[in-house]
Amino acid sequence: MSLKEKLAAGEFVLLAELEPPKGVHVAPMLDHARRLKERVEAFLVPEMHQAVMRMSALGAAFLLRQEGMEPVMQVCCRDRNRLALQGDLLAAFACGIENLLVVSGEDPSLGDHHRARAVYDLSALELLEAIGGLERGRDLAGVDLEGAPRFFTGATTQAGSPGRSAELEAEDIAQRMRAGARFFLTPPIFDPELLEPVVRRLDQGRQALVPTVLLLKSLGMARYIERNVPHIRIPPETIERLQRAPDKVRECVQIAVEGIRALRSRGYPAVAVATLGWEDKLPEIVEAL
Amino acid sequence: MIVAERKPIEEILPWLEGARSVLVLGCNECVTVCEAGGKKEVGMLASALRLLFAKEGREVNVGERTLERQCDPEYLDELRDTIDAYDAVVSLACGVGIQFTAERYPSKPVYPGVNTCFMGAALERGVWAERCQGCGQCLLALTGAVCPVARCAKRLLNGPCGGSSAGKCELGPEVDCAWQLIIDRLKALGRMEDYERLIPVKDWSKDRAGGPRKVVREDVRS
Ligand code: SF4
Ligand code: SF4
Repeated sequence: MSLKEKLAAGEFVLLAELEPPKGVHVAPMLDHARRLKERVEAFLVPEMHQAVMRMSALGAAFLLRQEGMEPVMQVCCRDRNRLALQGDLLAAFACGIENLLVVSGEDPSLGDHHRARAVYDLSALELLEAIGGLERGRDLAGVDLEGAPRFFTGATTQAGSPGRSAELEAEDIAQRMRAGARFFLTPPIFDPELLEPVVRRLDQGRQALVPTVLLLKSLGMARYIERNVPHIRIPPETIERLQRAPDKVRECVQIAVEGIRALRSRGYPAVAVATLGWEDKLPEIVEAL
Repeated sequence: MIVAERKPIEEILPWLEGARSVLVLGCNECVTVCEAGGKKEVGMLASALRLLFAKEGREVNVGERTLERQCDPEYLDELRDTIDAYDAVVSLACGVGIQFTAERYPSKPVYPGVNTCFMGAALERGVWAERCQGCGQCLLALTGAVCPVARCAKRLLNGPCGGSSAGKCELGPEVDCAWQLIIDRLKALGRMEDYERLIPVKDWSKDRAGGPRKVVREDVRS
């Protein structure tokens, strides 16, 4: 069953984020994927997350596909204009990649090539509409395609971020839904209550939301996020819990496991796990579920 | 100077629906020189608006005013006593002036009467051409004072692309190849060795890659 079918059947779906390598050494990424294959429905492949140069999501997603796995390929507005985006989407579909996650992308100034010129020819919303066009057999110039792709497309939402208006987030989701997005990935969620104000405002409730669970790596990281990353909130109890824990790494894994369980029991159709390079901890997390 | 073009009146008109009093606000600097938003153009737009409003049977008071500069708070303050008499402002300054007017008068709707195009100069009466994109890290010393950022269609920094032919750009015979101009100029200066020197990959963070820009001069700050 494909990701789309599983979600339609109401099965709980676990997604795992797998960063493509910075280089051509793809074996570790594929090893992680193989080890998780049975427990994870699909792999989220970021497109140069945080504007750090890596192998493109298209290449990495294709490699996963070749191994019989189901990738969700990020498509990012930062680095490609409308020609490149549409061309890569056609290539992706021809390579068997059918799930997309449309993102705006972080500004290059935040990454490791901070002198790069950003593109942003299309916004995420416009890209969603362009994908709809391709599916109807037309490109953005209105020219007919020889064979149209068919994608299962998601987008991101800032639902659950402190300091964002729930009304605006809900409106944004509705707008992106009209543009063709079928699921919405949230920022890392440590307190599921934060999603409720948006859930209450959505016609389909939590059914289209895919919360992210981020694996913390240390107490320092948790503190750093709490102080410096405005769109992620970590409750003080979580930080205290890490402070007290004798084995911090184990506790971090435990916090992630509990996070996934809590979201599952609230009825979210899917959860995405992000490890920021600690993919080797993923088996431990999924085993414990 | 900043070069702008007048917007068609049909684009402006719907914004003024329901307004009973409109101020057409010009600027005495760049947009006067490029004949898009000076006193003369303010008069022309105001008359055209009056005519259209009359045709629609609407009684609308159309005021005219041209400030010395709209990008300067000091001159904008001159409007303080009169602005309340208007429901809307159509500014004919460049995008900077339009925004500055709106920032100064937050509760007043301010609409653009021009399209702001580029930084350039007049080649002849009625013809303006782009010369600078404000990239924040000027390269002109290396390119014989011809800008490859603003004048090469691909912003190439190290010589022409394969589309350059007979001194013209691949865009068409009416566009000069910036690199042909650079080479001609370097030859005239006897500095062709500059052409051989590689310009490093450009730091676009000084351009817009780092987000909206600001210049801060601590020495002149008040
Ligand atoms: S507002 Fe624009 S047109 Fe007027 S002086 Fe300033 S920069 Fe030039
Ligand atoms: S190099 Fe940059 S600053 Fe210099 S003229 Fe060209 S665009 Fe303007």
